Amino acid sequence: MSSVAKEERQKRRTLVLRPSSRTINVSVSGIHGVNQSTRYSNGVVGSPSRKSFSLGGGSKLLEKSVVQTPRQAARVFDEEGNDVTPQVLYQADPAAVQAKASRFFMDEISAGGSASDQTTTTGSFTMPFSRSLLGSSRISSQSTIESLNEEIEDTFSKRDGMSINIPDVQGKRDAMKELVTEDMLKEVIEVYISETDSISLLDIPSTFVSVDAHDAEAIIERNNQYAEVCRNRMGNDKYVDRSMQTLNGEAKNKQVQSDSIVMVDTAATVTAWDMYDTYISPEQDETVCVPQAERADYPEVAVDTSRGAEKNMSVGSSTSTGSVASSLKEQEALGNGLNAESELQLIMLSEKFQHLLLVTERSILGNVFQPKLAAYRELPILEDSDIPMKPGTVEQREDTESPRPPAVECLWAFSCELSRGRSVSSMAWNKKYPDLLAVGYGELDSSNQKPGLVCCWSHKNPTWPERVIYCDSAVTSLDFSFNNPSQLAVGMQDGSLVIYNVQSRNQLCVVSSSECTNKHLAPVWQIRWTQQDLSLTGEEKLEALYTVAADGKICKWFICNNGLDCIELMKLKKIHNTKKKAGGNKTEKKTESVLSALSPGLCFDFHPRDSSIYLVGTWEGLIHKCSSSNSQQFLETYRKHFCPVNCIIWCPLIPDVFLSCSSDWTIQLWKQDHLNPVLGFSSTQKAVCDIKWSPKCATVFGAVNEGQLEIWDLNSSILDPVIVQPAAPGVKMTSLLFATQTDCVLVGDSDGQVTVYQLKNLSVGKNSQVDILEDIIRSAASR
Amino acid sequence: MLIEETLKRIQSQKGVQGIIIVNSEGIPIKTTLDNSSTVQYAGLIHQLVMKARSTVRDIDPQNDLTFLRVRSKKNEIMIAPDKDYFLIVIQNPSD
Repeated sequence: MSSVAKEERQKRRTLVLRPSSRTINVSVSGIHGVNQSTRYSNGVVGSPSRKSFSLGGGSKLLEKSVVQTPRQAARVFDEEGNDVTPQVLYQADPAAVQAKASRFFMDEISAGGSASDQTTTTGSFTMPFSRSLLGSSRISSQSTIESLNEEIEDTFSKRDGMSINIPDVQGKRDAMKELVTEDMLKEVIEVYISETDSISLLDIPSTFVSVDAHDAEAIIERNNQYAEVCRNRMGNDKYVDRSMQTLNGEAKNKQVQSDSIVMVDTAATVTAWDMYDTYISPEQDETVCVPQAERADYPEVAVDTSRGAEKNMSVGSSTSTGSVASSLKEQEALGNGLNAESELQLIMLSEKFQHLLLVTERSILGNVFQPKLAAYRELPILEDSDIPMKPGTVEQREDTESPRPPAVECLWAFSCELSRGRSVSSMAWNKKYPDLLAVGYGELDSSNQKPGLVCCWSHKNPTWPERVIYCDSAVTSLDFSFNNPSQLAVGMQDGSLVIYNVQSRNQLCVVSSSECTNKHLAPVWQIRWTQQDLSLTGEEKLEALYTVAADGKICKWFICNNGLDCIELMKLKKIHNTKKKAGGNKTEKKTESVLSALSPGLCFDFHPRDSSIYLVGTWEGLIHKCSSSNSQQFLETYRKHFCPVNCIIWCPLIPDVFLSCSSDWTIQLWKQDHLNPVLGFSSTQKAVCDIKWSPKCATVFGAVNEGQLEIWDLNSSILDPVIVQPAAPGVKMTSLLFATQTDCVLVGDSDGQVTVYQLKNLSVGKNSQVDILEDIIRSAASR
Repeated sequence: MLIEETLKRIQSQKGVQGIIIVNSEGIPIKTTLDNSSTVQYAGLIHQLVMKARSTVRDIDPQNDLTFLRVRSKKNEIMIAPDKDYFLIVIQNPSD
């Protein structure tokens, strides 16, 4: 719509039409408008009316002779100067508004004609009126201004024809009609029309395809076809114009309700070991007890997820873990679910449980014995801050300042109910694990013959042995092997020799000498594994087992054909030149009978450097030096003792020095090449049962007689023992062993206890004091 | 039986207050303590063992927990875990 400017023609009355989208802005054109404003100056007819007006036509309105002033500021006056400013529709008094409306009816004829009606309180009715009027006005806009009047008349007449429901309006209309004069109708009214924005209803942008594209040719062809169609459209029979109307079907409402979606929260914790288990488990065999075996019957996936789920459940900290996991198990298990009883049985039978119990017991005992074990290991004793220390024990630890006399402190005792009442006959350390102790129990006197017992003790558990081996007869001696550290050779009172394997829990008796024809017939007093220097293989030293028994034979044993066989190394013949002894004559006469010509051997010891030389102590008190290569003669004979020699040991630190003890209450120190002892020691009038050198210090040795433990230190005194520890009343000490790595001695007694004593305050220097001993010996020998 | 004897020995050691054997679900199957303490110990320690085992295995999945000791002011709880069960011993070493 183009705007028409008629300013040159009619300057007096100009109406400026502006597009009004929503707002109502039609300004009064000059003062003239006001002067002539009887008809036009009603411009402001209330904004609501204008609203409807604008709604009707959108922006494509032709407003004729509509003068509008902005709502807020405009005030309209007529010729008489009365204030005829139209009021807001809804607020206005009907009477006042009606008066105005009647006066300015003329203006309402043009598209805004209905607006005057709207000035009345009944603004809302005129909506349809305005539309129709506007529609007519639209059409009229195409015509020239000259025909405006006609149109106005048209609309006017139309108006009359319309039935208006409101009698008030009719009345007003009639009143307004009077105002329109002939002159007014002939007047040329200028209407300015301006263009509004274009509104695009449909916009389909073209798609551009490059000429080089694959389907470009097809598109070009299609385009050409379409252009042809367009050309041929006019006058073509194929195309007929036809109008259609879509029928909107009736909408029908239907309601559907879906099942409620159940939301379940699940959580999973992924751990590194869970994934590892999942990968590993199909490869491993499931050979475990019943509940797991039942689970393994299911496909692996199910097993894994269930196990994983179980683990997930168990990782969580909820207390319902048990119930959830148990419900899983119930789903899985083929059986009816295990009750606690059968589970307990299964657990009790498993090996693993045994091991767990073992470890637990050791831990408990570790707690109980911790100070003692620490002292054994020469570790500082930790004070447990939670346990209130007894005042007595505190004093004992403050002993570093004043020099105290050497003493032994009792740490603990290996003892259990099995061993109670039995006498300890021999003890030996394991060659590989210096903390493993084998103790043989057997009555030395043949009055009460109990079956023998061997216990392997570990310091980890002082209350129960690690291994218990029941033997047929009393054990008299035992020794661990060098090459096979788990083999324990046991000599018994009935002369039999058995080798046990202590490694397994089921005590494997490796071999027994019971079928050997050459076996001893008398108690095996000492048994010894010895490593021989001469080894052709070079790698492992050959090892041989030697025994000395009361039948006067020294035998070397070896394993053949699942049995032991021995060769006789030496027979302990009685020596004729014992005329000094009381029993000398008797022995001469008895040289012919084989049995009595042999004197029982009680102990022997191999030279630490040269394993072919060994010393044997006999019942007569003679000590023979023999060689394993010479089975006929003794190399040397040492005479001093007149009672059975109970023990002989070479000094481990000084070659060619050995000690012997005997039931004649004496201990003798010998040098190999001296036929007479270098030194002799005696302290009590009791038979000395056992004697041992200290492994660390050359001048120290220990001796056990029936009533006490004696520790001698030749550096301080050669007349008296440095430490004397009496035995418990009623108990006789029977055997002695030095601990190899710590300053402790073990003493076995006749009650089956092996007590561990720690040597304290022995004034031993760091060196082994070999030279001191040599000095002593030299000085003694020179006397 | 060897296990029975060992259990008896443990029970008679110095300071041992109680022994509980708990199965893998956290239900105690053998105990020397009273019922309420047993249930409490079993439930709480079950979680602790799971956590400890998870910790050890997270660091190295080929590793596994073999023993757990919880030392407290008044006593010490020793837990020996296994796949299907675990053994709890409560000891008061100063008794």
